[in-house]
Amino acid sequence: MVQSILDAISLGGLYALAALGLGLVFGVMRLVNFAHGELITIAAYTLVLTAQLPLILSIVLTLLVTSAIAFMMELAIYRRLRGVNPAIMLIASFGLSTVLQRVYEFIFGALPKSAVVAPFLRGAFTVGGVSITISSVITVILAIAILLGMGFLVERTSLGLQLRAAAADFKTARLLGVRSNRLIGAAFVLSGVLATCVAFILVVQNPQVNPYYGLNITILALVGIVIGGISSLRGAALGGFIVGVILSALNTLLGNGRVYAYSWLFLLVLIILLVRPGGLLSKGTELERV
Amino acid sequence: MKHGGLTKFSLQNLLGPIAVLIIMTFFLNRASTSLQLMTQFAICSFMMVLALQVFVGNSGVLSFGHGSFALLGSYVSGMLTAPTNIKSHALALNQLWHFLIPLKTNIYVGLVISALVSGVIAALTGLLLMRLNGLAAGIATFALLGVTYNIFFNNKQLGPGSQALPAVPTITNTYILLVLALAAIVIVYLFNISRSGRSLRATREDPMAAPALGISIFKVRLIAFTFSGLLAGLAGGMYVHVAGTFQVQDYYLEFTFMTLSMLIVGGSASIWGAVVGTILITGVGQILLMMEQHLPIFGVTIGIPLGSRAVIIAITFVAMLLWRSSGVTNGREFSLPRFKRS
Repeated sequence: MVQSILDAISLGGLYALAALGLGLVFGVMRLVNFAHGELITIAAYTLVLTAQLPLILSIVLTLLVTSAIAFMMELAIYRRLRGVNPAIMLIASFGLSTVLQRVYEFIFGALPKSAVVAPFLRGAFTVGGVSITISSVITVILAIAILLGMGFLVERTSLGLQLRAAAADFKTARLLGVRSNRLIGAAFVLSGVLATCVAFILVVQNPQVNPYYGLNITILALVGIVIGGISSLRGAALGGFIVGVILSALNTLLGNGRVYAYSWLFLLVLIILLVRPGGLLSKGTELERV
Repeated sequence: MKHGGLTKFSLQNLLGPIAVLIIMTFFLNRASTSLQLMTQFAICSFMMVLALQVFVGNSGVLSFGHGSFALLGSYVSGMLTAPTNIKSHALALNQLWHFLIPLKTNIYVGLVISALVSGVIAALTGLLLMRLNGLAAGIATFALLGVTYNIFFNNKQLGPGSQALPAVPTITNTYILLVLALAAIVIVYLFNISRSGRSLRATREDPMAAPALGISIFKVRLIAFTFSGLLAGLAGGMYVHVAGTFQVQDYYLEFTFMTLSMLIVGGSASIWGAVVGTILITGVGQILLMMEQHLPIFGVTIGIPLGSRAVIIAITFVAMLLWRSSGVTNGREFSLPRFKRS
């Protein structure tokens, strides 16, 4: 029981991190970056392929690679698509995601690459007769730490202020002196950093990295930001957390029916959207900005 | 937004796409067996893209859910026409519900039923989905695809689950498929210039002004969603009778992405765009496939490494969006080039 609750919280925390990465980019440029999953995938590949290096070095390397690719995405693709219809941008990011998957498949092969990353995070310990896996505890601690760090960044720093201002009203923010290119670039780099954190947690639990490694969590995080309320970062993180907790709970509760967990989750999402189209944290019925 | 879309009947707009499809089919069908098969699949894809055009193109609302209707249509027609001894003996179907086994109709009845079933399901789901706007609508249609895929992939009483339903009878005559596609073009064209079609495009251009003119966004979207679900079901049914087998995985993310990219590359606002997009993506895919296999194209052999085809197609798609985000046709219908007299 304790383990199930801890699992639910750790999964929720993980999805909250992924959702936050998506929400950051959406906030500044109204783009649902479907290719965020491929950032997670490349981070996972880098972690696995550099597993023989000291852990710190491997993580730093992964951060660099992932942020660089995130920044390149913005520079090469999304910068040219600014101002076009959000539906086209969504489709473009869908396309970019496919491009990267195929490129990974071409470079790394379709079969999974695997290596033991951070072996000291595996295994379990017992507290009062209850067995608890180390990875779930670490995930919870890491997720809380990163969420607090992001919270600090967004609420207390000048960059965070600009991010929030841009999310609220991009045009006015620009008029008030926010540099749009620099800010959007920063949002992408930050989303790359978050993707690295997510990849690290995922790889510790499951080191079998294939070209579609980040796809699943991105879809679920996407669902999370929509039900949480896409217009605020807090809503995005909350939505991701809720999706993780619900999925974990469904997996525990459904028993043999757990193969249908996704169906129940999506059904729940449909109901939430019908009741609150703007997401749980939205204020009233707000029309999508055109 | 400067989107195209027609308002009044023009023979040229209607006959252009039809003529192009007939000519393409005529030449490709007789070229070789592999090109014939490609043509048959391309016609099925075109039906699917046309279905997407009706809803996505006219309403401007992105739907990731049409794969569900194609899946459903494919499943229904496949299950209704597969031989009963296959259904009772195939290993993949050993948990099938018994009432499904004796069902047996011919291909055309199967196609009609698959279109109707998908249409009804589209109408029912549309009642809920069409209340949503923008991104929420996109995600909700995605959720629909997720639910359908999840159920069909895991439920072995309903169908073959993650395995394949074999021995579905096939349509070998390409011209039967072509006739279905041409009929669909005419009907879609008439829908697009009808009052419903025009109202729907009005809601796409300005979701504030359209209701002020007395248009119910919910109603016009629901009509189009139902119609396009019906067409997608028919497309799925056609696929299953070309492939000769039904497999759930064929109608998931890759299918959704391929058909949506055909629509967007061609230009989602017109039927002509659907034709051009399908031909372009299929053509590029086929040429790259032949390059991968080191086959000569018009006597010239250019080899590319195995696996690079998929990369190039995806890159082409993204590049196309960067170059012209409203599609190659810019959303216009077919028209003959005009020469100005000076």
